[in-house]
Amino acid sequence: MAVSATHKKTIRGFIVAYGLASLVMIYLSYRLPLFLPGDFTSAMYGGSHVVLTLEQESDHRRLYAETGGFVGYLADLASMRWGYSYAFRAPVSRLILEALPWTLLLAGSAHLLSMLFGFVLGVEAAWRRGRWFEKRLLGLMSILQGLPEIVTGIFLLFVFALLLQWFPAAGATTAYANLQGWEWIINGAHHLVLPLTTLVLSYFPGNFLLARGSMVLILKAPFTETARAKGLPPFRIRYAHAARNALLPLVTRFGLRLALLVTGVVVVENIYSYPGLGTLLLNAIGKRDLPLIQGVVLFSSLMIMLVNLLLDISYRWIDPRVTYAQ
Amino acid sequence: MHNNYRQELLQNRLFVSGLILAVLLALAALFAPVLAPHDPYDMSFAPLSGPSVEHPLGVNDGGMDILSELLLSLRNSVSFGLVAAIAGLFLGVILGLVAAWYGRWIDHAIMQLANILLALPNIMILILTAALFRPSPLSLALLLAVISWPTTAKACRAQALILKNRLHVQEAKRLGAGGAYIIGRHLLPELFPLYLVGFAAKARAAMLMEASLSFLGLFDPGHKSLGIMINYALKFYYLDVWWHWLAPPVICLALMMTTVTIIAVSLEGVFDPRLRESWQA
Amino acid sequence: MKKTFARLFFGLFTLIILITALSLSSQAHTKEIRIADSAGDWGYPNPYQHYPRGPGFVRMSWVFDSLIWKDQNGFIPGLADSWSYDPARLAYTFRINPKARWHDGRALTAEDVVFTINYFKQHPYRSVSLEQVAGARATDPQTVVISLGKPYAPFLANIGGTMPILPRHIWEKVKTPETFTDPSAFIGSGPYMFRDFNKAQGTYLYEGFRDYHRGRPRTERLIYIRSGQPLVSLSTGQADLAAIQPEMAEPLRRAGMVIIKDQRGWNKKLMINHRKFPFNDKRFRQALAYAIDQQEIIDKSHRGFATPASHGLLSIDHELYNPQVAPYRPDREKARGLIESLGFQRDRQGFYSKDNRPLKVELLASKITVGGQNVSDRDGEVIKMQLEAIGISVDLLSLEQVTTDSRVREWNFDLAISGHGGLYGDPRILNEMISPLYGSASVSSARFDGNPELNRLLDEQLLAVDPETRKRLVHRIQEVYAEEVPAISLYYPDTLAAYNPKKGVVWYYTKGGLGVGVPIPQNKMSLVE
Repeated sequence: MAVSATHKKTIRGFIVAYGLASLVMIYLSYRLPLFLPGDFTSAMYGGSHVVLTLEQESDHRRLYAETGGFVGYLADLASMRWGYSYAFRAPVSRLILEALPWTLLLAGSAHLLSMLFGFVLGVEAAWRRGRWFEKRLLGLMSILQGLPEIVTGIFLLFVFALLLQWFPAAGATTAYANLQGWEWIINGAHHLVLPLTTLVLSYFPGNFLLARGSMVLILKAPFTETARAKGLPPFRIRYAHAARNALLPLVTRFGLRLALLVTGVVVVENIYSYPGLGTLLLNAIGKRDLPLIQGVVLFSSLMIMLVNLLLDISYRWIDPRVTYAQ
Repeated sequence: MHNNYRQELLQNRLFVSGLILAVLLALAALFAPVLAPHDPYDMSFAPLSGPSVEHPLGVNDGGMDILSELLLSLRNSVSFGLVAAIAGLFLGVILGLVAAWYGRWIDHAIMQLANILLALPNIMILILTAALFRPSPLSLALLLAVISWPTTAKACRAQALILKNRLHVQEAKRLGAGGAYIIGRHLLPELFPLYLVGFAAKARAAMLMEASLSFLGLFDPGHKSLGIMINYALKFYYLDVWWHWLAPPVICLALMMTTVTIIAVSLEGVFDPRLRESWQA
Repeated sequence: MKKTFARLFFGLFTLIILITALSLSSQAHTKEIRIADSAGDWGYPNPYQHYPRGPGFVRMSWVFDSLIWKDQNGFIPGLADSWSYDPARLAYTFRINPKARWHDGRALTAEDVVFTINYFKQHPYRSVSLEQVAGARATDPQTVVISLGKPYAPFLANIGGTMPILPRHIWEKVKTPETFTDPSAFIGSGPYMFRDFNKAQGTYLYEGFRDYHRGRPRTERLIYIRSGQPLVSLSTGQADLAAIQPEMAEPLRRAGMVIIKDQRGWNKKLMINHRKFPFNDKRFRQALAYAIDQQEIIDKSHRGFATPASHGLLSIDHELYNPQVAPYRPDREKARGLIESLGFQRDRQGFYSKDNRPLKVELLASKITVGGQNVSDRDGEVIKMQLEAIGISVDLLSLEQVTTDSRVREWNFDLAISGHGGLYGDPRILNEMISPLYGSASVSSARFDGNPELNRLLDEQLLAVDPETRKRLVHRIQEVYAEEVPAISLYYPDTLAAYNPKKGVVWYYTKGGLGVGVPIPQNKMSLVE
């Protein structure tokens, strides 16, 4: 009983801390974009072929002036109004919701796949520590880790899109192809292959090294030795006993990586002209579309807060050995 | 004791090959100005010409000797990447362990700071920095460290939360050891394999970031680095110049990663005594 | 375990092959044209919502017709079949095509034109300046007379050929056009009807308007896709038309594409802060012009794919280009002489200083290129090298584009590399790119008014409807501009596009550019039978 009471207290502590941090984040996501030099008017017309007179310029600036202040912004947020994009003339929330599925599809599946591959290979490598299999794998992974996303991306593009012409070079679907059901899904998957492969190749060496590292520590822990002494089959020792314990850092990493969803895949989105939140944010910054920048930053930061809160609360559930208080 | 470790390490083929690679890279970086056949900023050669005796790796689009550019880039990138990675790792490990060991409000404060840093898009921080300051390369490396410590801190904290409950740690605490002692004597060495992984990733991220930094105005666009070389060479990926222009900086980058990983892995045994038996096997 | 991996890998591989095969077989067969563009998003295609850049204007031009239009040879009829100018009454008369229809089936009449002009006077369409237009009236359903306050030479190009005509029956009820996003905001009279803009994917869909008054559209659908890889998208048939880099021309030609090249209408230029010492002295600006070797920038930064620009600003392909404009041939000695005449002295390292203060200038580089794209180049590096060679120490800085722009806008810079087009369109561009009276809000404009003769000439050339008078004035403007060097035009980059000829459409660059000089080969007349 006493244990569960402290546990509840811990959770309450987390929620308070996260609440405070989220408030800071709301302020920062409101305030920081205002510091960006230039504004929507200068971004739109500054280097344009349309030359404004001073009067037209100040007219335009008046149309797109930030007026409410932070209090107004908070009040709008409280009533779920995320603002209206200057450039798209559409609600920020709708723009985010349109881009989000693509980001989740690309980055989400890349993280899942690379975590899966990394975990299994990492466990196997740690089990065979010092042997041929491990050394080769280790070498391969560290080389893969040295390849920047942009290089693998362009390489895959060159070979599979330009030379072999197996996969399309741009977009997430064939635009306006009027496909239905399965055809639509297959078309989407076809467009997803190259960007997804690029991301998996770039994420999974890190996961591999991490899984291997934590597994190496755990295989030496007394309980694995006990399991071994009991004569349990190696496969069961690896996955049912040891690997469960090596999962924690990987899950942490998964949470962190998922949090970097927005800005993490910009390079790949850019190479393959893939839609997503990263492109949305980058373009919004380029156009100084303040409500949209604020919205995307706020959305992504709240998502990061939420994912991390859930992770913190679930640590104990994943690994009962975790304690917070001394 | 220490002599034994040294003996063992020098007999380990993995470690020796890692060491040789590291020395080679360090020499190339150190003696770059001597080794370079030309001034890397000299734009007077015929653009996009292939390898020749005078230009072993050919000439880039701006008429600069690629080998000389590569050597100087290696030097800049190695130092930049190492500073950023070491500083980031140091911050991350220390803050992560402190958060895990002391818990309560210290933990909350450090972790929430980490969350906020994670949540702010890097690109915006960098544009703002470029608009307001002109930082030196050293302070830029430190800025990257400040942006990148949260990932390491979180990973270390997660693992330290488990170690904290191990018998020998609790025993040390019962015997009256202070937090700093336990962190330094027990937690730090035992998590070694874990955070070396983070080191390689951080060095790589910092070196690649150099390219975006120069395009965002935080570096002189004429600055030489592996990331910038790669970015320029990639513009011409469809021409027959990739093998002598794009490949060398990529190979250098991959070699650096391999070196760090190999050394990290072969040092595992030294820092965790429990791994020593399998080490000798 | 190894077996499991092998199986997994094999399974994945089979799946990929299957997906490829299936999606190849499911490709659509509708008759359509696909145009690729790297940015994707250029706003909704109507006058109040498209972005004020070339690609935005072109996307709007499919839907909204203007009174006249241009093709590769010059002006052609648009909504108006014929037009005439009466200098005595300062009035243009346009005869509207009786077959002209709105996308909703209603007839387009002279009343719509009158309405549009009045509406734009109230709610300006910023690409068109109607300052000189006194008023418009319809003398019969097919005739509209537009009268001017004073003579205005650029009228046909910058108003007649640029101003989109709005349907009165829709817009007369609209009070705030900026926020009017109803589907009826996209009813125009152009050859294509706007159907969709996908903001996340950056794609546009248009459908052919069968009742288009100048002939039927060649394809049922027109689609814009976002692709940062024009070479791959063209080679694989994902796109039928795209702008390309010069090096891509050869591989694409081999793949059966047709390569087209624009006239030289877009220049990269060096902006000079002429309000600040030493740049406020003409001699110093001239010294910069002598120090800069245009051909060397082209060779080192663009591998030869560009032409040195005229120091008189107007394109060398323009009818009114003045070949007598004295070029600044690279001459380091002359440059040094001019700098020394300002009292600067060289120190032991060969760098200039005055009163113990070193001459150190900051150069802002830029990635801006034709058609609103961003490609990094080495212009800044080469210019830095050239200026340092004569003894000016240079601090090179490359900031994010809007940051650079706002620093130039606020005069918070020394030298900045920038670029703009329109140099082969109407010479009104000279006013916009030189004088603060016309281009006060533009960062590409030199905003220079230090020469009274130049100011006077600029005002006069707009009034000169007589071609010979205008030619004389424009020639003189170029001479004075080159003498004053308020900014230095560096080069005209080769502007190329490639298209797939198998689609049966011939694309071309428009003479003088679309509208006010947009260097994009997507002329709607290519798609009209």
